[in-house]
Amino acid sequence: MNYLYFLYIEFLQKHGVPKLFGDITFYVIPFCIVFAVLLVVILILVLAERKLLGFFTQRKGPNRVGYWGLLQTLADAFKLLCKENITPDKADKFLFNLAPILVFIPAITAVGIIPYSAEFTFVNTQTNVILYLILSAFPILSIFLAGWASSNKYSLFGAARSISQILSYELPITFVILSIAVLASSLNLTGITIAQFSNWGAAGWFIFPCILGFIIMFISMLAELNRCPFDLPEAESELVCGYNTEYSGMRFALFYLSEYAMLFANSMFMAILFFGGYLSPFGKYLSNIIFGETPFASVLLYFEQAGWLFFKASLLIFVIIWIRATLPRLAAFDLLKFSWVVLLPLSIINLFIIVIYKYILGGLA
Amino acid sequence: MNWNEFEKIFDDCELVGSKIVIKSNLSGVIDFVLKEYPYDMLKEIIASDKGDEGVELTYHLYSVDDEEDLFISITVKDEIESVTNFFKSAEADECEIYDLFGIKFIGNENLKRLYMPEGWQGHPLKKDYKETDQRLEWND
Amino acid sequence: MTNCLSLNLGPQHPSTHGVLRLLLKLDGEKILSCEPDIGYLHRGMEKMAEKMSYIQYLPLVDRIDYLAGFFYSELFCRTVENALEIELPDKVRAIRVMLLELNRISSHLLWIGAFLMDLGAVSPFFYAFREREMILRYFEKLTGQRMMYNYFVFGGVRKDIEFLEDVEEILSILPEKLDDYEKIITDNPIFIMRTKGKGILEAKTALNYAITGVNLRASGVDYDYRHNDPLYKGFDFRAVVMDGKDSWTRYKARILEIKESMNIVHQALVYLKEGGKLEQKLINPLNLKLPEGDYFQEIDAPRGTACCYIKSTGEDKPYRLKWRTGSYYSVNLLKKLLKGEYLNDAIAIAGSLDIILPEADK
Repeated sequence: MNYLYFLYIEFLQKHGVPKLFGDITFYVIPFCIVFAVLLVVILILVLAERKLLGFFTQRKGPNRVGYWGLLQTLADAFKLLCKENITPDKADKFLFNLAPILVFIPAITAVGIIPYSAEFTFVNTQTNVILYLILSAFPILSIFLAGWASSNKYSLFGAARSISQILSYELPITFVILSIAVLASSLNLTGITIAQFSNWGAAGWFIFPCILGFIIMFISMLAELNRCPFDLPEAESELVCGYNTEYSGMRFALFYLSEYAMLFANSMFMAILFFGGYLSPFGKYLSNIIFGETPFASVLLYFEQAGWLFFKASLLIFVIIWIRATLPRLAAFDLLKFSWVVLLPLSIINLFIIVIYKYILGGLA
Repeated sequence: MNWNEFEKIFDDCELVGSKIVIKSNLSGVIDFVLKEYPYDMLKEIIASDKGDEGVELTYHLYSVDDEEDLFISITVKDEIESVTNFFKSAEADECEIYDLFGIKFIGNENLKRLYMPEGWQGHPLKKDYKETDQRLEWND
Repeated sequence: MTNCLSLNLGPQHPSTHGVLRLLLKLDGEKILSCEPDIGYLHRGMEKMAEKMSYIQYLPLVDRIDYLAGFFYSELFCRTVENALEIELPDKVRAIRVMLLELNRISSHLLWIGAFLMDLGAVSPFFYAFREREMILRYFEKLTGQRMMYNYFVFGGVRKDIEFLEDVEEILSILPEKLDDYEKIITDNPIFIMRTKGKGILEAKTALNYAITGVNLRASGVDYDYRHNDPLYKGFDFRAVVMDGKDSWTRYKARILEIKESMNIVHQALVYLKEGGKLEQKLINPLNLKLPEGDYFQEIDAPRGTACCYIKSTGEDKPYRLKWRTGSYYSVNLLKKLLKGEYLNDAIAIAGSLDIILPEADK
């Protein structure tokens, strides 16, 4: 980030703009960029999900609005914006209106603390893994608010289910992240990424020592994202639409958007923890291979690193959509049992394995 | 099912076609039939309006082992004992007949207007049913 | 006891397959009591029959169960034929059996899709509909209608059978597709978790609640009217009787029944492909009067035994007509079966019984 910062200030001072302006805009502009990019990514994600689901179920998916259905999600978003916002009479009006906002803020913020490339993190604290954990669990609170405030029985069931779900799946996630922290000796996402660097490229990724942890984390992430087969809080065939049954128009859109924003953010988070984040899987970056050690290549590197991260994340998203097309939903009771009886002990065992592995590795070095 | 044996025990009954027509004591007859023969299913209760005589209820029993149907028929005016303690499926049938014919089944606690709205006047499958309910005024 | 929550499941709900309404009393997600309420699709089929001549009523009977229209059409035709003592020629029988069994396959396919949808799996629904579509296309080509066929008439069929190559194609494609279903559904651990041992229906309870058809056969009772049915005389098949009693068995039994139906369709197809002139025993439906008496006929429909009872007084209209439909009794069973289950299991169990509301409501 420093490198970019100095470039930017230098550029502004050449044109006689005061430094204070540069200081402020340097942090605001990228955030706006990320917000805009995120919206575009979400639109693409929604389209991709519908297209892929169509592909998996022998349909065409959306193909009317725009070429190949590209503008379909835009049209849907526009439609949602035009719709009436209905607040049920018996609902707790304040909380009912607050919940969609509260669900969207952490989703956006979570995207802000992801290191996209070596120097490109907006909020880079020493322990942003913990920050991320809190942010990713936060939407559940808003979901509970939404379900409670709607004063609809189906919503209430959805809310109750999501609370019990998050309570049981947050623990295995924490244990897996602990083991990653042990491996990387860091609680910083950039630190974790750098710790996975090796000249052999993919060989240094944490997925190899921590394959068990990856599986646990992946399953728990599905549960945390309310994705199939853990989509109990909004189980369509049981609870109509779960916690967002009563929401319409823009408020529903916010739930929808944040769901996909969290999907995107969580996939990137997984990619950072296990697949080396923005590191190239070949050890050397393509831009360096093609353009050598030129200044142009060093600028291009930023984009290539972000590209690798996006690529790894989208592979994970593909698998998640694939799972949605294949598997039926778990029963609520089995879901909790699976977490407490299978995942939690396994994640603790995983932590022990990693600690021993680290100890042996340290002994060798 | 052995008709002669049956006739000896219950006097006021006759065999019409393939069905046994009894005058009274329905639960006694069913109890006897179930004890003596392997009938295990009450397939349906057929109700049919007979004008002034009342409503004829035909109990259609079936035995899976013998692959045999048995029809027991009884004509009732307005109420009869329920057979739900022999067959749970009668709950459904009796409810339907209560709704459409107005026969009360004593002992069945789940009787309610099934198809017609609560408080509907008359029972549609009775032959003397006239659509007098005011809610039907828009029909004219 | 804690305060219980009463929940009105339906009539507008994604997984009540139409307009079933369940009044549930819940403790948390556990169902304390369940009170089914039907009648939202009641069309007065029995009342209408009393005001119509037999031929006027014939197109209506397809609508009793819109997913298996041929069965009720056949049932009504056969009851009238019984009354007139018409014995069907072999070719008419073969045509009817073939169409009935194809209809059974399409009905079971739809059930598989809808059941998996209830369990939260999206894809099988589309796969099942793709295969069902082939059958419906054939029906449409043959009868001009996709669901309400109005093809059987008293003493025969409306026109000679055609497009047999389509049936051949269906028979050749279906087995591998069924294998696909088995791969994606039957061995799926989550599916097994959701259905094995859930919704246990003991044979005794099933008989007491007058449950028939696949649901009864999956509880281990060998009751398939097709074996006694003169319509199926000369066809070689066996009833699918399984002894699992749970939702999974009911699913598996339907898959096996599709295979058995394919076998029957194949036999009928072989017979029909020999050609032969279509001899019918058609009767003039105008001014058709049944002799005085009670007539009764039974058939094994996809959702349980269906019976038709006609009481005639020698008029051109039935004096009384009564339908027995399988779903009606399955709805009644929900009262017992759902008690003590959790909400999401309850949806799966209700789904496994294959309830179709137009059939229950009549």
